[in-house]
Amino acid sequence: MGPEPLGPVRAVSARISRRLLLAALTLSALSPLVLLLLTSVGREWFFPALWPASITIESWRDAFGGGGRIAGALGTSLALAVATGLASAAVGWPIGRTMADLRGWPRHVGAAAAFLPVAAPPVALATGLHLSALTMGVAGTFGGVLLSHLVPAVGYAALYFLGVFTLFDRRIEDEARTLGARSRTVLWRVTVPMLRRQVGEAFLLGFLVSWAQVATTLVIGGGRVRTLPLEVFSYLQAGQDRYAATGALLLVIPALLMLGAVRFAVDRAEATPL
Amino acid sequence: MTAPALRLVGVGVRFGDAPGLRGIGFEVAPGERLVLLGASGAGKTTLLRAIAGLAPAETGRIVIGGRDVTPLPAESRDAVYLHQTPLLFPHLSVFENVAFPLRIRGVEEATLRATVAELLESVRLDGLGRRRTSTLSGGQRHRAALARAMAARPAVLLLDEPLTALDPSLREEVRTTLLSLQAHYRPAMVIVTHDLEDAAVLGDRIGILLGGTIAQLDSPERLFRRPASLPVARFLGIPNIVTGSVEAGQFRSALGSMPVGGELPAGPAAAAFGSEALHADPCGTMRGVVRRIHHGPRGATLRVEVAGIKLEAAAPAGAMPLPGDELLFTIEPDRVTVLPGATDVR
Repeated sequence: MGPEPLGPVRAVSARISRRLLLAALTLSALSPLVLLLLTSVGREWFFPALWPASITIESWRDAFGGGGRIAGALGTSLALAVATGLASAAVGWPIGRTMADLRGWPRHVGAAAAFLPVAAPPVALATGLHLSALTMGVAGTFGGVLLSHLVPAVGYAALYFLGVFTLFDRRIEDEARTLGARSRTVLWRVTVPMLRRQVGEAFLLGFLVSWAQVATTLVIGGGRVRTLPLEVFSYLQAGQDRYAATGALLLVIPALLMLGAVRFAVDRAEATPL
Repeated sequence: MTAPALRLVGVGVRFGDAPGLRGIGFEVAPGERLVLLGASGAGKTTLLRAIAGLAPAETGRIVIGGRDVTPLPAESRDAVYLHQTPLLFPHLSVFENVAFPLRIRGVEEATLRATVAELLESVRLDGLGRRRTSTLSGGQRHRAALARAMAARPAVLLLDEPLTALDPSLREEVRTTLLSLQAHYRPAMVIVTHDLEDAAVLGDRIGILLGGTIAQLDSPERLFRRPASLPVARFLGIPNIVTGSVEAGQFRSALGSMPVGGELPAGPAAAAFGSEALHADPCGTMRGVVRRIHHGPRGATLRVEVAGIKLEAAAPAGAMPLPGDELLFTIEPDRVTVLPGATDVR
């Protein structure tokens, strides 16, 4: 016997509750963005006014105008995030797969090692990495900041691929091998295409980890590598709310675009018959 | 004489810390089907994986097409392994799945397209080449996997329980496809199963894996009629095993005596026979009581007690007796296998 059907009153009430919940979620997601947008274009907007006294696109014009700090920082952030996403997916794959092959305590130790940079407070991580960066002579360089972003990003990617390969059916690779495919062919023609969604998600994970890094960028970059989050902080400290809001919006938009692009690319590839 | 497509010489494979398989040796001719029968955990799949190069053989040699492939990786062995459930590549269309072995061998596009089209037609999947594998039915998936395997033109095709997970109608469909493909492309086949019916239908020869070794390797007819040992007889589910002894060319037991074919040493022995060897006969010499009638998919059999021994007998063609009826029975000696030295019978 199935569950008792809802009565008409309860069914309507459930429908209304679902719609209210959806509306609340949408509002909570959009309202900060709307507020940021208004702040970025609002001039002379003081409490308790509900609306700015006037509108200006000065901060947006300056952001992308010649020599704008925000545009340069956006470019650096994008370069760092894309490089981190690619490298963390490439490095996290074999680490995750190796850990998935392990059994018992070696697997736990491997997972704990991957989790450590993820769990460590960013400032503590940055401090530890700074000493290493100084020793390696990469402090204050793009490469040094990239390496520092890779530490937590690879941890995330390795843990992600540990889950992926724990569930992955290796027998399909075995079958490909007996059909005559060498290991490299199996990797590039079977495993990677099969797991392209997961690879895309691992890239996105690394991208977002790098995109949000502040402490490591600040400490390892030493102020010479300027990313968008750092610029937003510096505008906030200087009380330039309009510019800070513009930078904050620019932080959100590429991340959302990248999320959409990865999903679109994977969905499209999976829907293509030949 | 044709050189064997597959030859195993003294192959041993471990199962973790257990001794596993040892001293496995047999040959399979091109176009021949060898079925390996064994209980769950007998090592059938392990042996198949060792032949494919997916599990290491600890000892012995594996020769495929006259070439010792023991040290070679799976991709260089010319033996395709098919799992119980068809593992098609989900990111490729049906056409590209079948084309996979040809693409990795660098076959020219026109030849590849013609070969794949022929294979798809031979498994009745023509017209479905552009489909995604996830849209295929269970039977279609099996047929696509078989076509892909044949595209590699392997010397040996290794099939792990190919019919086990299928319902009866699909079973027939896959079995027919398997046999027709083999008749056309002639690979040697090693098929692993625990199903006696599948083994009897698919095998030119059947090997019984018991206790880590091949206990008997014979044609289906000989195997089912003349099991080589009591463990084999038990594995085959032969219902009647009666202890006795061999004396002066006769097997003597509580059922009486019967001539023994071949050279058997005097001493303790057991007679093994199926229900078809024992039937009600008005001129019979053994009196028995019907205890129960068992109706199965292949007809009825009688559970009878003869001379205090519980036996299974063929049901008479005419009127069915009732439990408690007393009947006379006859044993057909040529359907009985006498196994020497067997004293530990149930």
